[in-house]
Amino acid sequence: MYTYFNDIYLNLLPVYIVFGVFMEEEITESGDSLQSSSCCFPSGVFHCGPENITVTTSGYIILLTWQDDPSCKSVHDVLTYELEVLIADKLVHYEEVAVTSTQIGSTHSWNWSSHLATECASHMLKLRSRFANCTSQWKLEQTVPAAHNHSDLPEVYPRDEVFQVGSRATFCCVVPMGEVLDKLYLVGHSSPKWNVSEINSYTYALTVDLNKASMTSCTDIICKTNTSDNGACAYIGYPPADRDLICETRDFQSVDCMWTAGRNTHLAIGSPTTYQLLESQCAGGSNDRCSHKMQVVSGEWNGTLIAKNQLGTVVLTDRVDLTKRVRMFAPQNVTFNSSNVRLQWEWTTQMYKDLDITCQLNIIDGERHAERQCVGVGLNFAVLNELIPNWTYTVIIRCGTTQHFWKWSEWSSSVEFHTMGDVPDPLDVWTQVKDSQTIITWKVPLPTQSHGDIIDYEITWTPTSKQQKQARVIHPKHSFALSLDSRQDYVVSVGARNKYGSSSPSTITIPILNTGSGGVKLSRTQGSNSGFNLSWSASQTATGGYIIDWCPTIGPCTVDWLKVPPNETNINIFSKDFKDGVRYLLSLHACTHRAPVLLERMEGYFKEKLIQDHLFTLKWKQKNMDVEVSWDPVALEEQSAFIQGYILYYWDNISRVMNVSTDNSHATSLIAKNLQIGSYTFTVKANTAVGQCGATSITATLNSLTDNFIKAIGITLATIFVLLCLIVILCYRNWECIKLKVYPPIPMPVLKDKWSTSLTKQSFHSVFVEMSHHTEEEFMAIPELHSKSEAPVPDFVDQGNVSSQTTNGYHKMPVEKLPTSSTAIPCQTPLLPPPSPPLSSSLVKDGHLNHSFTLNSTDTSVEGSNGYQPQKQREQPEVPENSLPCVLTYILLPQVPSE
Amino acid sequence: MSGGARRPHRRGRMAERPEARAASLAELLSLESAKLLELYRKRENLSGDVLAGAGRLVSVPPPSAQLGAADKLRRLHAALLQCRSLTEGAVAKEDDEMGGGTGEYETLRKTVKERLSSLVNTVGELVKAAGGPTPALTPPASGRGSEPDDPSLFALKLWLFRVFAEVDFWARTAAGALRTLRNARSRGARR
Repeated sequence: MYTYFNDIYLNLLPVYIVFGVFMEEEITESGDSLQSSSCCFPSGVFHCGPENITVTTSGYIILLTWQDDPSCKSVHDVLTYELEVLIADKLVHYEEVAVTSTQIGSTHSWNWSSHLATECASHMLKLRSRFANCTSQWKLEQTVPAAHNHSDLPEVYPRDEVFQVGSRATFCCVVPMGEVLDKLYLVGHSSPKWNVSEINSYTYALTVDLNKASMTSCTDIICKTNTSDNGACAYIGYPPADRDLICETRDFQSVDCMWTAGRNTHLAIGSPTTYQLLESQCAGGSNDRCSHKMQVVSGEWNGTLIAKNQLGTVVLTDRVDLTKRVRMFAPQNVTFNSSNVRLQWEWTTQMYKDLDITCQLNIIDGERHAERQCVGVGLNFAVLNELIPNWTYTVIIRCGTTQHFWKWSEWSSSVEFHTMGDVPDPLDVWTQVKDSQTIITWKVPLPTQSHGDIIDYEITWTPTSKQQKQARVIHPKHSFALSLDSRQDYVVSVGARNKYGSSSPSTITIPILNTGSGGVKLSRTQGSNSGFNLSWSASQTATGGYIIDWCPTIGPCTVDWLKVPPNETNINIFSKDFKDGVRYLLSLHACTHRAPVLLERMEGYFKEKLIQDHLFTLKWKQKNMDVEVSWDPVALEEQSAFIQGYILYYWDNISRVMNVSTDNSHATSLIAKNLQIGSYTFTVKANTAVGQCGATSITATLNSLTDNFIKAIGITLATIFVLLCLIVILCYRNWECIKLKVYPPIPMPVLKDKWSTSLTKQSFHSVFVEMSHHTEEEFMAIPELHSKSEAPVPDFVDQGNVSSQTTNGYHKMPVEKLPTSSTAIPCQTPLLPPPSPPLSSSLVKDGHLNHSFTLNSTDTSVEGSNGYQPQKQREQPEVPENSLPCVLTYILLPQVPSE
Repeated sequence: MSGGARRPHRRGRMAERPEARAASLAELLSLESAKLLELYRKRENLSGDVLAGAGRLVSVPPPSAQLGAADKLRRLHAALLQCRSLTEGAVAKEDDEMGGGTGEYETLRKTVKERLSSLVNTVGELVKAAGGPTPALTPPASGRGSEPDDPSLFALKLWLFRVFAEVDFWARTAAGALRTLRNARSRGARR
C-alpha cells in the first residue's frame, strides 16, 4: 500500500539524501555501456560503486537503496551517483545523486515517481558512481511488472491510487495473451482528451486529466477487450482545506477546539483526513471539533491542529488565553420555590463558584416569553417578580462569564412551575339599554385576570338618593338586567369573586335620561379585513377616554366594547365575531367623570356581501307604452350590503338589453319607457359597493290600447251574457214557485156528494182520461181529485230517478237531483190561500211544471211539444209518491172515511 | 357468553400454508433485491461493460425436467443458502472496507438480508416436509465467490454487485418455483 510505503519513506528520511530533480529537458541516451567505465586511477579500474542495491515499487513510486563499495572510503570528496531509468529500453529519466565524504559508507536511498505505474511496465534502473573523471560500471536493476502474472482477465493499474483533482494520471491495462483491447476509459469522465497509447503488444496506457472528484466510493477505470473486461479504482479528490481554528475551555480541565471544515475531499474511503490536536490524534470521526485534556491556566496558549490526507496537510493554529475563552456548562437541577418565588440551580464545575457569572432567564408564560438577566459571583439563584398569579410558567436558563464574556452556555433543561392564586383583577363593565331595561354587562375575566376560578359576580346599584341594592350572578353569566327609574342617576358596581377573595369593584354611572341615540348623528363606515378603522374628533368631555361598543344592527345583540385612552382619537376594531354581510352599529361614547356620553354612531359592514338573488317582489303596470315595475322596500335583514340604488334591465326577444336606474336607495319603482307591443322581461338589481345583486325578474306582455278597448267590451258582453244565463237557469229551476207566486192555484170548493166520494175511489187514471172531456169547470176540479187519491207526498223527490211516460209504458230515466230547498221550501208554507187558477195553464206533472203539455178547454187533444200524442184510452200511469211536492201542502181536501 | 360451538375459521390467511408463505416471501424478496441491485448500481456508477460479464457465484446442480418437486426444493434451498452466506459476507466486507451508513441503501440492504434469511428458513421447512434430508444450517464452505478475487476496491465493488445480482436472480427463481408449488398444492387440496 502506498501509505505503508509512505511511512517507510518518512522513516528513511534521516539517511536519505534528496537529489531528485526532475529532468524537464529531453533526456538523451548516454550511450554508455556497462563495460565502458573509465578511470583515471593507475590500476585502470574504479572500484568505488554501488552495492547491495534494492528496488521497491508501489504504484508510480520507485524506491532505490544502495550502499557504497568499501573502496569508496578512500574517496575524500563528493562522490556522485548517476541514475538512469528506462522504460521499454527508452531512457525516461536521468539523475545524479551527490554523496558527501561523511555520508560515504552509509545506506543511500533515492525515490522517484514515474509517470507510469510500475505494475504497467518494467522499469530498468541503471546506477553508477562517478568521481572526478572516473566512473564505475553500471549496475542494473529492473522492476517486475505485476502484469506478468498472466491473468486470464485484463488488469488495470494502478489500483486504489489517490489522485488530486486537476492532476494528470496515466493508467494502463495489461490484456491477456491473444486478446485485443476494445476500450480503456474512466467512468464518469467524458473528457475527449484521453490518450491511449500502446506500451507493448499487451500493455496499453491511458493518460487522462482528472477534472472530477470521485462522487462514489471511487472512480472506476474500465478495460475491456474483445472477450473480457475488468477494472480498477482510483480515488480522485482534494487535499484538506480546513480553516479558522478556535479553542475554548468549559471546565478548565480540557480544551475544546473547533474549526470550519473545508470542502469535501471526496476521499472518505481512499484517504480520509486525519486530525491531530496538540500532537494527539483526534478520535470520534468528527471533522470540525476535537478535545484535548489539559489543565487550563491563565496566559497565552498556542493550539495547533494538523489536518492531513494523502494529498496534503493543513496546519491551523489558535493563540489564546483560555481563561478568557470559557464557555460554561448549562445550569443543572433548576428548581422553583413558590413561597419565595426563587429559582435556583447547581453547578457541576467547582471552578464556576469563583467566577463572576451572568445568567439569562427565558420565562415563557405559554405564549409569550420574557428575558431577564442576573449577575453574581458563583450565581446560582434568581428571584422572579411580576409573575401572573395562578399561572404556569416555563423557565430555561443559560449563563456565561461576566468578564471576558465568550459564549453563552447551552440552555438548561426547562423547569415548569405554577404561581399562587390571588383575587381577580377589576372587571371591565359596560351598559346597554334594551327596551325599558338597562343591561349591565362585563367581560368574563381572562385566565390571566381571574387568578383563580371565578365563583360569581356581585352587582350593587345605588340610586343617588336611596339605599343600595345588591345581587349576585353566578359565573359564567356575565350580564344583569336592571329596571331602573329613569328619573334619577344610578351608580352600578360589579365585582368578581374567586376563592382568594373579591376584586375591587368596577363602577359605571347610568344617567337620568338614557334616551339612546336621540340627536346624535349616524354616519356610515366601511370595514376591511383588519376590521373597522375608526377616527373621530377629540372631545373635551372625554376625560376618562372613550368607549366604542358595537352590535349587529338587526337581530340578537350581545354588545362588545373597547376602551380607548383619552389621547387617542382613532382605533382599529377587530373581533373574531365579525361576520361578512352583517351590518353593525358602532357607538362612540365619551367617558366623563359621571355617566358616559354618546358622541357618535356609525353603521357599516365588516365586509359587504352580494345580496342574494330574488330579493324583490315585483309588480308591473302598463301605462300607455311605458311599464312601471315596482317592488316593496327591501328589509334590512335582507341587505348584506348598503344599497346605493337600483337598476332595471328590460329586453324583449328582438332588441338589445336596455336599462334604467336610480341612485335613490329608497326608490320602490322604475319605469321602462317607449316599449313596443310584445313580451318583455324585466330584471331589477340593487346597486351595492360590491356589485349589482339581488336580481329578480318578471315577464310582462304589452298590448295595444285598441286591443284593450275591445277586450273591455268583450269582457262586458260576456259578463252580461253569463248573468242572463244565470237568471234564465234560476227562473227555470224555480219556475213552479214563480208560477205559484204569479198565478197561484185556485182552491177547490169542498164537495161532499157521492160523486166526489166515488170518484175518489176510482182510479186516478180513468178520472184523468175523463177529464179531457169535461168542461172547464170540471177540469178545474181535477187537481183536487188527483191529489186526493194519493198517499202523502214526501218532502223530497226521488234522489236518483224520475219516471216518465213513454208509448211503451214507464221506464226509469236518470234525472238530475233537484235540490229540495230551492224548489220545495217556498211552496211548503204558503202565506196566502192560492188564487184561482187561470183559464189556461200548464199541467203540473210529477211535482214539476210540465212545459210539454198544454191543456186547452176547446181542444180535446193533448199534444206534447215533441209531437207525442197521448191516447185517451191509455191507462194513466200511477203518479209517483214523490210527485207534487207543492200541492199537498196547501190543497187540503176533506178526508172521506174509508170504508 | 354464548355457549354455542364456534364456527371453524375459513381457510385463508389465518392458516397460511408454508408454501404460500414461502411464495409470498420470495415475491417480496424479488422486488426488494431488484431495487437494491439498481440502487447499488447507481450509487457506485457501475459501468455496464463490467456488469455484463459478471459471472455466477452460486453453484447448484443444473435444473432438469427429471427432478421431482422435492429435489427442486432442495436445489432451490441450496442456492438460497449460498445466497444468504454471500450476502452476509458481502455486507460485512463492505462495511469494513467502505464504512457503514444509515441511508436508503443501507436500510434496503439490511431488509434484503433479513428477508432472505426468512425465506431460507421457510423453504427449509418445505424441504423437511417433503421428506428430504434435513437441510444444512450453513452451506458447505465454498472458496469460489465467497470473497472477491483480488483485494482491490474495484474487485470488491464488482463482487458486491455480483452477490446482489445472485440474490436477485435466485429470489426471482424462488418466487416462480414457489408460486407453481403453491398453485399445484391448492389444486390438489381442492380435489
